[in-house]
Amino acid sequence: MAIHSFETMGTMVSIRIADAELGEHTTDDNAIAVLNEIEHEFARLNEKYSLYRDDSEISAVARGDLSLADASEELREEYSRALEWREKTDGAFTPHRPDGVIDLSGIIKAVAIDSAAKQLTDAGFVNFSVNVGGDLTTSGNQAADESGWITGIVDPQDRGTVIAAVRLNAEFPAMATSGSVERGEHIWLRPETTKEFIQATVIAQDIITADVLATAIISGGQTSLDQITQNFDVAVMTVAPDGTLQANARFQELVAR
Amino acid sequence: MRAGSAFLAGVGSAAIVAIGWQAGVGTLVSALPQSQAAASGTSSSAGTSNAATPADASSQTATTAPAPSGPADGTYDGSVVNTRFGTVQVQAVISGGQITDVIAVKLTDADRKSVQISQQVAPMLRSEVLTAQSAKVANISGGTYTTQGYLKSLQSALDAAGFTG
Repeated sequence: MAIHSFETMGTMVSIRIADAELGEHTTDDNAIAVLNEIEHEFARLNEKYSLYRDDSEISAVARGDLSLADASEELREEYSRALEWREKTDGAFTPHRPDGVIDLSGIIKAVAIDSAAKQLTDAGFVNFSVNVGGDLTTSGNQAADESGWITGIVDPQDRGTVIAAVRLNAEFPAMATSGSVERGEHIWLRPETTKEFIQATVIAQDIITADVLATAIISGGQTSLDQITQNFDVAVMTVAPDGTLQANARFQELVAR
Repeated sequence: MRAGSAFLAGVGSAAIVAIGWQAGVGTLVSALPQSQAAASGTSSSAGTSNAATPADASSQTATTAPAPSGPADGTYDGSVVNTRFGTVQVQAVISGGQITDVIAVKLTDADRKSVQISQQVAPMLRSEVLTAQSAKVANISGGTYTTQGYLKSLQSALDAAGFTG
């Protein structure tokens, strides 16, 4: 198991490659090369889409220095993708802050995770996980004798405790968990929404879907939860302020046993 | 060789971050039975704060100050963009130098699913979603609002420890 961690986008990236070893005597040059490529891609996306950097393209758009029409094709595509998700979630997910500024940080983090997984696959690795601040996608198995990747979900009211553990697999390899708005990075409650859930976990075929829908459930509450479980093939678990849990049957099927 | 040394430097810094959290790994595992016990008792009250932090407010202010040369008020058409999801065009409404709304004027929605493919959620007990297998977690997922710093440290600790479950 090769494990590599680095910081970017205000959080920690943790990549595990079960197919590789990184040690003093067993250096895997292929793994080192792809991990460096992944670090560079995270850095590139952060430089472009971070609102905390004055020199990023997204900050230029936010200031009005750069019009959307003149922005890079990549930025416009990511923005379009975010708007598509706004439609699909009936507005619960939105790339706009209440003040109107376009904030793509949420979707870009998922895009970076997705990209890292593709880079690992292209490099020939089969068994790995890419975890960025608690949002992750996986491939293959975490060990020869342990199918899938067992992933713990932290109790939002007792962060030293795991509230549930699921086994991510080839059908549902990606998981994202969102919490309430305190950190304020990319989740904004609709004005009419009371805080119905303090945490929402979505497991999906891809990390972008998982991340967007987890965000939408926190933002849109029970209405969005019902809409999402009706329209998307995902596993969902929510935690209410009183600590009670809700989950659908898909989620129960994935509980690690 | 250059790539190799850069990589090793990264591992080193992660390990330093992790030192303070070695005890945390033990706490996580040992706390598992406790959470199961909690499931059968009364739920604890929500002790977490919902308030937006002052830091959030200040960062918004800083990034949205109207630029001196900002665009005139009005509605601006974005270009038509072809994406893998279809064709998209938006209009941005500018007021006071800021985007106040964005309207999708063209959205092909071929990807939208209408079939009912998933199931409604139902209440669950914690004992139903937590089993002995929880001790084998290789990754941790959590909401960002209070758990982020914790996750960051915990995951790096699991990594530094070579914890594979």
